[in-house]
Amino acid sequence: MRVLPLTDPGVPDVRSPLRFLLWVVKGQRATLTGGMVFGIIWMCGQATVPFVVGRGIDEGITGHSTSALVTWSGALLGLGIVQAAAGVSRHRFAVAAWMTGTFRVEQLLTRQAALLGASLTQRVQLGDVVSSATTDAGYIGNCLDITARLAGSIVSFIAVAIIMLSTSVELGLVVLIGVPALMLLIGPLLRPLHHRQTELRASVGKLTNFGADTVAGLRVLRGVGGEREFFTRYQARSQDVRRKGVAVAAVGSVLDAAEVLLPGVFVVLVTWLGARLAIQHKLTVGQLVSFYGYAAFLLAPMRIATEVADKWTRGLVAAKRILRVLSLQPLLAQPPHPVAVPRDADLTDTTSGLTVRSGEFVVVAAAEPSQASALADRLGRYIDPDGDEQVFFGDVPLTALALDDVRATILISDKDPRLFAGTLRDQLDPHRRASASDVDDAIDAAVAHDALESVPGGLDGVLDERALGLSGGQRQRIALARALLVDAPVLVLDEPTSAVDAYTEARIADTLRAHRAGKTTIVMSTSPLMLDRADRAVLLDDNRVVADGLHRELVSHDARYRSVVTRDEESA
Amino acid sequence: MSTPNSALLPVAHIDEVKAYASSLIRKQGRAAGGVLVLYALAGVAGLAGPRLLGDIVGAVQKGTTRAHVDRIAMILAGFVVAQAIFVRLARYASSVIAEKIFAELREEFLRKVISLPLSTVERAGTGDLLTRMTSDIDAMSRSVRFAVPETMIAVATAVLTLVAAFVTAPLVALPCLVVFPSLFVATRWYLKRAPQGYLRERRVYSHMFAGITETLEGGRTIDALGLRDKRIRRGDDDVRRAYVAERYTLRLRTLWYPSTETAYVVPVVAALLVGGLLANRGHASLAQVTAVTLYFQQLVDPVDRLLGWLDELQVGASSLARLVGVGRVPADRVATGEQPESERLRADSVHFAYRAGRDVLHGIDLDVRPGERIAMVGPSGAGKSTLGRLLAGIHGPGDGSVTVGGVPLVDLEIDQLRREVALVTQEHHVFVGSVADNLRLAKPSADDDQLRSVLSSIDALDWVIALPDGLDTMVGSGGLILTPAQAQQIALARLVLADPHTLVLDEATSLLDPRAARRLERSLAAVVEGRTVIAIAHRLHTAHDADRVAVMVGGRIVELGSHDELIAKGGSYADLWASWHGEGPHVSDPLISDSLTSGRAVSPSGQHWTPSDSLSHTD
Repeated sequence: MRVLPLTDPGVPDVRSPLRFLLWVVKGQRATLTGGMVFGIIWMCGQATVPFVVGRGIDEGITGHSTSALVTWSGALLGLGIVQAAAGVSRHRFAVAAWMTGTFRVEQLLTRQAALLGASLTQRVQLGDVVSSATTDAGYIGNCLDITARLAGSIVSFIAVAIIMLSTSVELGLVVLIGVPALMLLIGPLLRPLHHRQTELRASVGKLTNFGADTVAGLRVLRGVGGEREFFTRYQARSQDVRRKGVAVAAVGSVLDAAEVLLPGVFVVLVTWLGARLAIQHKLTVGQLVSFYGYAAFLLAPMRIATEVADKWTRGLVAAKRILRVLSLQPLLAQPPHPVAVPRDADLTDTTSGLTVRSGEFVVVAAAEPSQASALADRLGRYIDPDGDEQVFFGDVPLTALALDDVRATILISDKDPRLFAGTLRDQLDPHRRASASDVDDAIDAAVAHDALESVPGGLDGVLDERALGLSGGQRQRIALARALLVDAPVLVLDEPTSAVDAYTEARIADTLRAHRAGKTTIVMSTSPLMLDRADRAVLLDDNRVVADGLHRELVSHDARYRSVVTRDEESA
Repeated sequence: MSTPNSALLPVAHIDEVKAYASSLIRKQGRAAGGVLVLYALAGVAGLAGPRLLGDIVGAVQKGTTRAHVDRIAMILAGFVVAQAIFVRLARYASSVIAEKIFAELREEFLRKVISLPLSTVERAGTGDLLTRMTSDIDAMSRSVRFAVPETMIAVATAVLTLVAAFVTAPLVALPCLVVFPSLFVATRWYLKRAPQGYLRERRVYSHMFAGITETLEGGRTIDALGLRDKRIRRGDDDVRRAYVAERYTLRLRTLWYPSTETAYVVPVVAALLVGGLLANRGHASLAQVTAVTLYFQQLVDPVDRLLGWLDELQVGASSLARLVGVGRVPADRVATGEQPESERLRADSVHFAYRAGRDVLHGIDLDVRPGERIAMVGPSGAGKSTLGRLLAGIHGPGDGSVTVGGVPLVDLEIDQLRREVALVTQEHHVFVGSVADNLRLAKPSADDDQLRSVLSSIDALDWVIALPDGLDTMVGSGGLILTPAQAQQIALARLVLADPHTLVLDEATSLLDPRAARRLERSLAAVVEGRTVIAIAHRLHTAHDADRVAVMVGGRIVELGSHDELIAKGGSYADLWASWHGEGPHVSDPLISDSLTSGRAVSPSGQHWTPSDSLSHTD
């Protein structure tokens, strides 16, 4: 069995869902072939059991031969053992095929998500990608897993048909026509069932969302009340699910009955025809018992064929959804011949007219915070400026630099920096480049000691998903410490203290400045505590720099500036 | 502020789960019995095949007529039709019961969830509860809809088939019993390990999906910090874990399957061999041997199904244990029925610890005059939010008391508590439903006119009316997404409807942009009008406007007085105020820098940690 994960999941064929499926199949021919071989042995073994029982009856009982009885019983036991061995081998290959297919798709999706980063969710719904990863990948695996049983079904069906045809043309035809006919008869019943199942799933989805929503808002609910109301609404949805569930059962139970009735009638038909032949001595009693067995056995290939149709249809649909993600290309154009990154260069944004000299500590106050975020996005090349505008690092436009170089040189810490599950140390220094004292200094500078202490185990303590165990302010300061530890030549922080109290903000403003001494730092903030520490305070309005100078001067001389940073609460 | 996440919700004991499950079924009474009878009838009808084939074989061997064969075939067809009808009736009836039981189960679970004690809700976090609400209910649906009925059918069918075999020919059937010990041992071995294995798979997969979700949501951060390879590694690690978990259960099945499959064939072999030997000695008829052999072949299906569902049943039982467990959280308060004499809120030498021995509050005294506005300021971790929760009656104090009109807050009925004091936090959850639904939580009896007048009072009516369906616009996840400021206004409107005389505001507007914040402050001003307010403030102008300012450091109130008094006193608040106005010295109160470094006065480099020392201002 191939050890997973694959070191390289490869480059998928994204031209069409079918091609993609074939590409996945091509990657694991050996596993699939193995599964098919054992699938064939396993099912042919099952098909042979009625034959052996029939011979045992004929030669051993009707023929009164103890040795024949022992021989055929022994054969039956041997057959059982072979079948068990083949069955479990088939299962192992099928699981291997499922895992290889499913996990390979997971690997591809993760790589694509990591590669496209922010530009992925701009173009596809987050929920769609998540459902591709959680369910669609498994559907691809299902397409592969079923091939082993499919191969067994086809071969065993043909084998049984030949046996019966060679005994009686009439019976052979009943099998050859009857089995596909049964599949066709069951088919129409499946559609209303699927329809009602879809309705049930939608209803269950609504109920689950309502429940999840209730849990998510439980603090609010317990705070202001409305529990009775919520219970009534949940109950209404729950009862809707119950009704839909019963509606599914109304159709499903008919299908269950049909699955008893149709094959049952088929078995009766085969037995009846066989018995008539037996009376005419065209069939021995043993053969009659065999035929009864064959007829019962043939239900298995029939069920598997239905399952294949279902899994392959779902697989193709899943492949289509997966390709919507995998076929995306990165948004930002990379220069064919990137220029080397200048050292100690000034950063200029022609759109706003902002220039930040190397080593400066500049705080940008924006009347409209989204404009400050847009400026940060341009400075770090998360978006390209409109028209002829450019962002220059020294005299080189950012578009002439390799994107990885831009990321390594200019670090933008956005408004909502994410923390990931893992140890706190891992958050702060994901690349394990910093020394212990660097880490301590960064925590000092971000005034994040209380966050450190609230995690049991400190730096080696584990944060849950998205660090939800920390408060908003603590998460923000951990993210700040992380940004400081990168020690990028240029650091742009978008509202790094928005969730922090005034006391702590005042400390951060001091320590941040000291920690970044000699390196370029741009902070987007309207807080007087932050602006006061800046080499230069800049006011951004209507996407342009409209005031530029020291905070104390601007606050006393520039009314517009004053209104933005002091929130109008005092007259000048 | 941090809320220790250690307080996990309880899980019920297996005996409790069993008792609960059987009470659910017993409640269905006769209907459940009726379903069992229908399944038994279907099972009995299914037994006709081998017996009648045996009859045909016997008849053919002795020589018979076409008419006789035709008649037996007709009877066989009749039984098939009867079986189909019984299956239809039984399946439907059992689904009706299963859906009913399942609906009752999840409704009772929700009832327990929404009556969880306030302190548990605050502390336990939503993750565990969310898992119970989604995954465990999902697992239960598989158990209730499929595993339980399928197991019952399988047991009934298997028992009936065995009985039929023994009734047909006891001597021929007897040898089959040899397989039961080995089947039992192998299956017990498997069932001891399998549920853990499958639960681990589930955990591993949910970890994998959480990782992918993180990668997707954190795309920007991944770009910025060059975490691409790290995220790919995390994904590959998750795949590796999933692979290991799958390999484990595969190994269990690899050992278990062959033993059961072999066990299935042994009775058939035994019936053929022993039955044949008996028949050759005249102790059994060909018809009997044929019938019993076929019965044993037919037995494979129900036994296989039964074994296949057993591990799912175990998983279902562990999910049920987690659902039932929620009901075991003890109540955190018992209402004494005492009525407050006034609206005066007092804290007297209050101590509080989330974890035993680690006090967060060290003796807080605070007497809040009705109608007064108090601003609480202080560094992170000072205990402001904790005190806020105590003042709002969410937690009871460890020592000391928090009272309103002389009655401890935790002695009040929760509905009454809500009329006395409310906590307003940054958390502004908008529930799925209409805007009106969201508002009526606080006052179910409010009519649309009242809702409109409340919205108008907080300056929110214009945008609500502008929504596609006004008050009836569906909002929340899946509906219209409100801006944080709008969501916060909805929360404020709820407060007006609930109408408590005292509000504890915890950093209510800090995460909003200035323009939205300004509007929201106007709304807030309307809400707090005529009420007592304790505001935990991030921004200093809130403090400036308050009647009194409480400066909290290290779990104590270190300064308390009006803005002007504190400025005159020249303490840490005065320093901060000056710094905020870009005037005076920066914060350098040793008390505060100590608390920020959590008692660690010396940095790793060995120097005394006084950050403001290192400042070199340009001016």
